[in-house]
Amino acid sequence: MMCLIEGSLFCMLIAIYFYLRLGVDVWPPPGVQLPDVFLPTIALIPLIASCAGSYWASDAAKRGDRNGMILGMTLNLVLAIIFLVFRAFEWKSLNFTWASDAHGSIFWAILFLHTYDVIADLLMTAVLTFAVVTGRAGQKQRIGVHVDSVIWYFLVGIWLPLYVVLYWGPHFAGAPQ
Amino acid sequence: MSTLVTSVKAPAIDASQREQLESAWRNKPGIAEWFSVTTHQAIGKRYIVTAFIFLLLGGIEALFMRLQLAAPENTLLGPVRYNQMFTMHGTTMMFLFAVPVMEGMGVYLVPLMLGTRNVAFPRLNAFGYWIYLAGGLLLYGAALTNTLPDAGWFAYPPLSGPNFSPGKGVDVWAQMITFTEISAMCVAVELIVTILRMRAPGMSLNRMPMFCWSMLVQSFMIIFAMPAVMVASTVFLLNDRTIGTHFVNPAEGGDPLLYQHLFWFFGHPEVYIIFLPALGMISSILETHSRRGVFGYPALVLSLVGNGFVAFGLWVHHMFATGLPQIGEAYFTAASMMIAITSGVQIFCWLATLWTGRLQLTAAMHFIFGFIFIFVIGGMTGVMLASIPLDLQVHDTYFVVAHFHYVLIGGALFPLFGAFHYWFPKFTGRMIDEKLGKIAFWILFFGFNLTFFPMHIAGLHGMTRRIYTYAAEMGWGQTNLLATAGAITIAFGGVIFIVNVLRSLSRGARADSNPWEAGTLEWAADSPPANYNFVNLPLITARYPLWTERSERGIVVGMRNDRREVLITTLMDAEPHHRSVLPGSSIWPFLTALGFSIGLVGSVAAFYWYYIASVLGMIGLIGWFWPRQPLDIKP
Repeated sequence: MMCLIEGSLFCMLIAIYFYLRLGVDVWPPPGVQLPDVFLPTIALIPLIASCAGSYWASDAAKRGDRNGMILGMTLNLVLAIIFLVFRAFEWKSLNFTWASDAHGSIFWAILFLHTYDVIADLLMTAVLTFAVVTGRAGQKQRIGVHVDSVIWYFLVGIWLPLYVVLYWGPHFAGAPQ
Repeated sequence: MSTLVTSVKAPAIDASQREQLESAWRNKPGIAEWFSVTTHQAIGKRYIVTAFIFLLLGGIEALFMRLQLAAPENTLLGPVRYNQMFTMHGTTMMFLFAVPVMEGMGVYLVPLMLGTRNVAFPRLNAFGYWIYLAGGLLLYGAALTNTLPDAGWFAYPPLSGPNFSPGKGVDVWAQMITFTEISAMCVAVELIVTILRMRAPGMSLNRMPMFCWSMLVQSFMIIFAMPAVMVASTVFLLNDRTIGTHFVNPAEGGDPLLYQHLFWFFGHPEVYIIFLPALGMISSILETHSRRGVFGYPALVLSLVGNGFVAFGLWVHHMFATGLPQIGEAYFTAASMMIAITSGVQIFCWLATLWTGRLQLTAAMHFIFGFIFIFVIGGMTGVMLASIPLDLQVHDTYFVVAHFHYVLIGGALFPLFGAFHYWFPKFTGRMIDEKLGKIAFWILFFGFNLTFFPMHIAGLHGMTRRIYTYAAEMGWGQTNLLATAGAITIAFGGVIFIVNVLRSLSRGARADSNPWEAGTLEWAADSPPANYNFVNLPLITARYPLWTERSERGIVVGMRNDRREVLITTLMDAEPHHRSVLPGSSIWPFLTALGFSIGLVGSVAAFYWYYIASVLGMIGLIGWFWPRQPLDIKP
C-alpha cells in the first residue's frame, strides 16, 4: 500500500519533470551545468548490493534465524550509508539550488524526497536491528524485518528510473530543439 | 495456525464467552485512555461528529456569503472578508467535511457489514483521525490569528503565489491539505486491507454489500489521487511561497498550469471520492426499503468500478478555458460525457429496484428520492458543461456553482442524511424521529432548490463566481434575493435536523438490533454494537445473510475470545486463512500525530520545522512499534 502511494507520488514527479522540460527550449537552463553522471553511477553499486543484505535479513526472518537477521540488516545499513555518503558528495557538486529555476526545483524535490525516504527506512532498519540484537524479536518483529526489506527494494527500484531521468535525461534531451 | 471449524447450527450464546469478549475489547475509562481508543466504532463516531461540526461551520460561512449577496452593493462583508468566506466554505466542505464524513461512515460500518471485529490497522485508524482533527484545528486556529486563506478552495497560482497573496493564509491552507490527505490515505489503506482480507467466511466478493464495494473503489481512488494534491499544495505552492522554488513561477521556467493539472488530477476524482460512498449508502437504503436485493448487482458493481476509472480521465474539463490543444479538449469532452453512462446505469438499477420492490416511505427514503431528483438535474447540467462551447460561455459563473452544488449536495449530502437516518438506530441504539425527519427533509429539499436553481439563471445572465457584490443595473438582484431566502430555509431545515438528532438521542424509542428488517450483517450486531461487534463471527451463505432462514445461518467457532482476535480470510472467496490478533488501546498514535502536527504547523513558518516534524514523528513511530511482551504470539 505504502509502495502504491509512494509509487504514484514518484510517477507524478517524473511526469512533472517532463512537463516542465517541454515548457522550455533549453534544459537545463543556460548557465546550469549538466548533472554529473559519474558519482551517481558509482553510487548505484553499494545501493544495489545493499538489496542482498535485505534479502538475507528477510529470508532469515522467515526461518526465525536471529543471527541471519542481524547480519543481513547490518550489511544493508553499511552499504546504504556508503550510498548516502556518495549522494552527499554529489549533492555538494551541484551548481544550482532549488531556488535557481524550475529545473533546479524539480531536481531538488525528487532528490530530497528520495533521500528523505532512504534515511527514514535506514532509521527503521537501525531500530529493528537494535530490537533484534537486544532480543526483542517476536513474530511481529520478524514480519517487520520482512516489510522493511520490501520497502527497501521499492526505494532502490524506484531510484533506477529517477536516476535515468535526472542524470541521463538532460544529456539526451537537453539540447535546444 | 489452528484449523477452523465452521458450524451451521448456531448454539445459544454462552454468557462466559460474552464476558471474555467484553473484557478483551473494553475501552478503559480515563482521559489518557480516551486518547488511546482504537476500536472502529469509537473512531468512526468521532469522525462523523467532528465532520458534522465542520459542516455547521461551513454552512455558517455560506450563510454569510448569501447574506452579503442578498442585495446589490451590500456592505455586510468587505471584499477581503468575502474572499476569506468563500475560501473557508469550499475548503471546509471539501476537505474537512465531505471526505472525512464518508471515511467515518466507512470506518464505522465496513467492519460491521463484513462481519469482523475491527479494521485491519486499528492504531493507524486512530492516527488518521488525530491528524484530521489537527488539520481542522490548524485551519480554524488561523481564524483566531486572522490569517485566513483567501485564494479560493483550489488556490490557483499566481494569485496564491508569494507575490499576490502575502501573509500566512495560503500557507496555512496548503499545509491543512497535507493533514487531511494523510488522514484520508490512512483510512483508504486500512479499509482496502479490511475489505479484501477480513470478510466473514463465505462472503466472496460477489456477496459483499454494495457499500463495501463503493468504499473499496473509493479507497483505491484516494491512493492514486491524493498524492497529486499533496504535490501541488505542499511541494509546489508552499515551497514556492516559503523557500523560493519556482515550480509555478513562469519567470523561471515554472508553469501555473501545471498546478491546475495536478490539482484537478486530484480534484476531479475527489468528487467521486465523495460521491461513491453515497452510492453505496443509496443501495443499502433502497434494498432494505423496497424489501428486495438491489436490481442488477453486477451492473452496479461494474459501474462503480467504471466510475473509478473514468473519474481519472476527466480532470481537464475544469480547465477548458485555459487554451488547451483541441485534441485534448475533444478527448476530455468525450470522457466527461462517458461518466453519464455509468451514472445512468446506476440510476436505472435503482429505479428498477424501486419499481419491483415493496416500498416503505421512511424519512431515509425521502432523502433518497430527493437525491434522485436533484442529482439527475445536476447530472444534466454536467453533460451540458462537458461541451466546450457552452463551458466557455458559462465558465466561472454561477451556472457552474449551481451545477456542482446540485451534484455534491444532491449526490452526497442527501444520501448522507438518508444514511444518517437509516443507521441512526445502529449508531445510538435509539430510533430517530420519523416525523421530524420528514419535515426536515421537505424544508431542506425546498430550501435547496430555492437556493441553487436561481443560480443557474444568474449564471446564464453572466454573474461570475467569487464577486463580493454587484451593481443594481446588472439585474441580478431578484435571483440573488431568492437564493438567499433559500439559504435561510436550508439553515432552518438544518436546525430541525439538529433538534431531531439531539431529541432522539435522549428520548427516541429504543431500537432493537434490526429495526428495518434489513438483510446485511451490521444489523445482526446489537444497537449500538458492542466493541467486538459480534459474539460469534458469522458464516455467510448468501448475499443478504439476515434474509436467509435462521436455521441456515452459521457461525465461526474455534476463535479465542480472551484477546482481540480476528479471522483473516482469502481475497476472492473469503475462505478462512488464519487468525490474527489486533492491537488494543495505545496512546502512541495520538502522540505520533501530535509530533507530526507540531512540526507541520511549524513548517508554515519555516522549512526547518519539517526536520522537527520528522524527529518527533520518528520518536512517536518507534514508541508505536516498540516490541511489547509477550513477544511471540503463539496461536
